[in-house]
Amino acid sequence: MTLNLSVLTPNRIVWDSEVEEIVLSTNSGQIGILPNHAPIATAVDIGILRIRLNDQWLTMALMGGFARIGNNEITVLVNDAEKGSDINPQEAQQTLEIAEANVKKAEGRRQKIEANLALRRARTRVEASNPIS
Amino acid sequence: MSCSNLTMLVSSKPSLSESSALSFRSAVSSFQLPNHNLSGPSNPSRSSSVIPVRCGLRDLRDRIDSVKNTQKITEAMKLVAAAKVRRAQEAVVGARPFSETLVEVLYNINEQLQTDDIDVPLTKVRPVKKVALVVVTGDRGLCGGFNNYIIKKAEARIRDLKALGLDYTIISVGKKGNSYFLRRPYIPVDKFLEGSNLPTAKDAQAIADDVFSFFVSEEVDKVELLYTKFVSLVKSEPVIHTLLPLSPKGEICDINGNCVDAAEDEFFRLTTKEGKLTVERDVMRTKTTDFSAILQFEQDPVQILDALLPLYLNSQILRALQESLASELASRMSAMSSATDNASELKKNLSRVYNRQRQAKITGEILEIVAGADALV
Repeated sequence: MTLNLSVLTPNRIVWDSEVEEIVLSTNSGQIGILPNHAPIATAVDIGILRIRLNDQWLTMALMGGFARIGNNEITVLVNDAEKGSDINPQEAQQTLEIAEANVKKAEGRRQKIEANLALRRARTRVEASNPIS
Repeated sequence: MSCSNLTMLVSSKPSLSESSALSFRSAVSSFQLPNHNLSGPSNPSRSSSVIPVRCGLRDLRDRIDSVKNTQKITEAMKLVAAAKVRRAQEAVVGARPFSETLVEVLYNINEQLQTDDIDVPLTKVRPVKKVALVVVTGDRGLCGGFNNYIIKKAEARIRDLKALGLDYTIISVGKKGNSYFLRRPYIPVDKFLEGSNLPTAKDAQAIADDVFSFFVSEEVDKVELLYTKFVSLVKSEPVIHTLLPLSPKGEICDINGNCVDAAEDEFFRLTTKEGKLTVERDVMRTKTTDFSAILQFEQDPVQILDALLPLYLNSQILRALQESLASELASRMSAMSSATDNASELKKNLSRVYNRQRQAKITGEILEIVAGADALV
């Protein structure tokens, strides 16, 4: 039995092919999905998606969204997704530092919300760009 | 003496400049004047729009050249806009799988949540005290009335809000809007954002983040999106669309805050709205078969909705940006196409006048030569 994964962003289809296993970071923690998983719907947090393909793990940074699993079809709808290999680690690190600085500077509720979101995104990108972890 | 004068006259003919000898400059102008008087009345009779051209031959030639250049530019801009419309179209098509799946899921979850009383930040309807207007304009001019229409719409909306005694603030997207609002410091603008050549999810995200934090922090109670809706290549209209609060049923509130659309309509409008850049906008039922009854929710349905609604918000903003861009390009295309037409019309008229003047001048000079030769005999 094969498992089909499609990762959709508003712009494009980031991934649409067979996988062996994925680990998805949902709002209530990470879940692993193997073929013949029970049908579920889950919210996807800003976090990393790990994909096992030919016994190799790929990472992808997901920027929050939604996933639907059923019938060996996984549909992930996210605001933005980037493959770990496409992220420039240095650039991601810099963005993270800027985001961290911004969080410290942020004043007022509104700025804090914005800064925290940006920080989480930046952190995820850094994590995704590190092949080991 | 008169002979040498003649040769001078002949030799100076090609240059026809004002710097030629003073002696026959008067003669030349005296020949031009009757010509003007001839062409003056004759032109308006042909077409009332043509203004009699009064300038020298050299000026005329310069004008023809400049019109020719302008025509080339407008023609090129037209072609570029046409090509970009196609790209914008592809972007819309690329966004389709996402929005379709999103709508499907949202619809299904909505079905399951019909009975529940849910409380999601983005759907909270508060008494409106302050409204944020997101005004989407273009980055460039030369596209007919495109930018003006949307700015006028924004001004009208501001007047309405003022009349209602509501506070407002603007989030301006696009260079044209930015410069407009910068020139008017009395309009409170929260943020100036620049549009881009091709709207991406990132651009939409930037706006969505802004709007989201604005709304969630309760600084504003309503967010409206003003953009130009793409109807067809020759028609687009500025519209006001309420972004937030999202009603859990997906209802779209009109300007007065009354919910007008039924839930399904809004959803389906999303899917079919501008799938292609054609006029297909009719309501179509999406297939809502796939959700199996045994589907479990990993989290609370409320949380899932919480995750979905920002996506929905984003995709709506992205769609608005895309539509706005498509409208801009389409209106640039038609503006440039009519500019090209005008330029060729102008060129035609100018060359006609030019040829007439040249002919009159040659005739005049021949007359002069003949008269001179006669005088010699």
